[in-house]
Amino acid sequence: MQQLDRYEDVVGHAEVQRLRNLAARLEGRKIVHVNSTKTGGGVAEILGWMTPLMKELGLDARWEVISGPPDFYRVTKTLHNGLQGLPVVFRSRDFELHHEVDKQNAEKLNLGADVVIVHDPQPIFLPLYTPKDQVKRWIWRCHVDASRPNRAVWKHLAGAISQYQATIFSMAAFTRPLPCPMFLIPPSIDPLSDKNCPLSEQERLETVNRLGIDPERPFLLQVSRFDRFKDPIGVIEAYRMVKPYYPEMQLVLAGGPADDDPEGAEVLREVMDAAGEDKDLKVLMLPPDSHRIINALQRSATIVLQKSLKEGFGLTVTEALWKGKPVIGGACGGITLQVHDYHTGFLVHSPAGAAYRIRYLLRYSDKRERMGRTGFEFVREHFLLIRHLRDYLCTLLCLDQPGEMDLVA
Amino acid sequence: MSSIEPFAVFDCSLVRMPIGRSCSNMRELLESIRTVPDMVIEHHMTRCALEDHFDLYEFPNDLAHWCWDMLGDHVLAEKLGLVDPYAHQSIESLRAELVNLIEERVWELDRVPTCPPGLELHFVGSRLIAYDTGERLPTPAALFETLPRLSLRSFFYHMHNARRRSGGRTDDFSNWLECYGADPSLVARLRAIDVYFLNLNQLRDQMVEAFREHSTAPEVALKASA
Repeated sequence: MQQLDRYEDVVGHAEVQRLRNLAARLEGRKIVHVNSTKTGGGVAEILGWMTPLMKELGLDARWEVISGPPDFYRVTKTLHNGLQGLPVVFRSRDFELHHEVDKQNAEKLNLGADVVIVHDPQPIFLPLYTPKDQVKRWIWRCHVDASRPNRAVWKHLAGAISQYQATIFSMAAFTRPLPCPMFLIPPSIDPLSDKNCPLSEQERLETVNRLGIDPERPFLLQVSRFDRFKDPIGVIEAYRMVKPYYPEMQLVLAGGPADDDPEGAEVLREVMDAAGEDKDLKVLMLPPDSHRIINALQRSATIVLQKSLKEGFGLTVTEALWKGKPVIGGACGGITLQVHDYHTGFLVHSPAGAAYRIRYLLRYSDKRERMGRTGFEFVREHFLLIRHLRDYLCTLLCLDQPGEMDLVA
Repeated sequence: MSSIEPFAVFDCSLVRMPIGRSCSNMRELLESIRTVPDMVIEHHMTRCALEDHFDLYEFPNDLAHWCWDMLGDHVLAEKLGLVDPYAHQSIESLRAELVNLIEERVWELDRVPTCPPGLELHFVGSRLIAYDTGERLPTPAALFETLPRLSLRSFFYHMHNARRRSGGRTDDFSNWLECYGADPSLVARLRAIDVYFLNLNQLRDQMVEAFREHSTAPEVALKASA
C-alpha cells in the first residue's frame, strides 16, 4: 500500500484520487525545498511529510537544509523578529553574514531543479549565488506574519525577493505589493503522524501521569516554543485569574527547542520564574521528537490555548482542533483563519480575555464538546495535508500557464 | 432513451492570489474597485461562497460583508449585497455598477467611515482549477441520487461557475436535464433557484428538494443532504 492510500480513511478515496490526477500533470518535475532546520518548528514538520508524499505523487522532490555558524542563527532570528514587526537592531556586518552564509550554502547544496521553494528568510539569498541555469523557477515561501515588518529588515530582504518568480504566504494580510505573483497556501497537519494519530487510552493516561499531571482534574494546555510572541507569561496570568474559581485547575506549558531559535533558553527562564512554586503549573521542555507526548497532552487537555501575540499560522491550533478541543487563541495571524468565535473556540486580545473564555468553556461543557466536533470537521475539510498538497500542485500549474484565466486540469 | 452524453461531474480548487493591496476606508475602497485586476473583482463578488465555512455570511459577496461588519456602513452594504454579478456580461460592466454605488455613497457622506486597525479588506484574486472527477451520471435519477454527496466545490462549479461560463444564462445541471429531455418544470424549478442569494449548503438543499418534488421514480432513495 502506498502512503497516500492511508489517507483515504480520513478524507475519502475521491480526494486522494483527485490529488493523483492533478499530480500526473506534473510528473517528473524536479522540486527542491530549502529551509534552515531539519528538527523543531512547523516548517520542518511540514517538509518531513511533504517531501516523501510529493515523491510518491511522481514529483522528483528533495529537501535541503542550509547550515551556518551560531552567529548566523542569531542574525536570522533577529530578522525573523523584525519581519514580524519587533524593533530590532542590525549592524551592517549582520547583513553581510547573511549573504556570506547563503553564498556558501548555494555552493555546497544540490539545488539543480525545475522549482526551488525557499522557506522563510534564512536561505532567502540563495538565488543570488546559484548559477542561473541550475534553477528554472524560484519560489519564496514566507511562513510568518510579514504585514508590518521592520523597515530595515524589509529593505534587506526586498532585494532578494526580486529574484523570485513567485511568493507564497499563509494569509492575504501578510502580503505587501511585490513584483512577482503571490499565492495563498495555509499550512496543514498530517493526521496520521505520531502527533495526530489516535492514541490508546492506556498510552494517553500513562503519558499524562508520567509528566506529573493529574488526569482526573481539568487542565489548560499551551504547546509552543518558548518564544515571547507565544506569550507564555500571558497564559500564566490568565490561569491565575481562573484559579480562584476553579482551584482544581492545572496549567501545562509544553515546549521544545528549535535549532534555529537561540532565544528559547532565555524565555524558558522567564517562564520558570513566573511559574514559581505552583505545583499545579507544569513547564515542560520536551525533546524535539516528543510527538506522541504532545499528542497525549492535547487529547487530555480540557481546553487548549494558543495565546500568541504574533503568529504565522499556528499548527498547534490545528492539532488541537483535530483532536476535538476548542481553542482559545490570540486574535492574530493564522489563528484567525482557524478559530471562529462560538464555532471552534474563541479569539482573545488579553490575558483577561483568555481567562473569561476559559471560564465560559468550563461552565458550558456541552458547547465545549460541540465546538470540539465542529473544529475536527473544519480541520478535516481545510487543514489536512491532502489540501496542502493540492494547493501546491495547483500553484505550479498556474505558474506553468500564467495569466488570469481559469484552468481545466 | 436519451442519446446525450452522461453528466460529467467536475470538482474545483481555487488558487488564491493576493495583490498586496488593501483598503481601510470607503474612499480607498472606491479607488481600489476602480483599478484592481478583473480577477480580484471576480473573486470578491462571486467566490466568497467557497469561503463561508460556517454559513455565517449575511451577504453574498465580500464587499458587502466588509462594509457591513468592518466599515459599519450598512447603507452601502445593503446596496452592494443586491448586486448580482451574473447579471453582467463582463467584469467591466460589473465594476462600473460597483463604482457607481460606492461613489454615490461617498458623495452622500461628510466623512467617510474607516475600519478599525486589523480589519482592512485585503484584495485577493483567484484562478479556478476545474478537474474532471471521472464520475458520469447517465440519467436524471442518477443525478438525483448523487446530489446529496457531491462536494460543495462541485456545486460551486456546476451552479456558480456555470453561470459565468454561460453568460449568466444557466447552470450545468438544468442545462443537461433540458438536453436530456427531462421534465421542463423541473428544469424551470432549478433555474428559478436564487443561486447567488444562498450559501452552498442551502443551494444543495434546494436542489435536492426540487428533485424530490419532481421525482417520478419511486425506487430512487430520497436521501436528505448531510
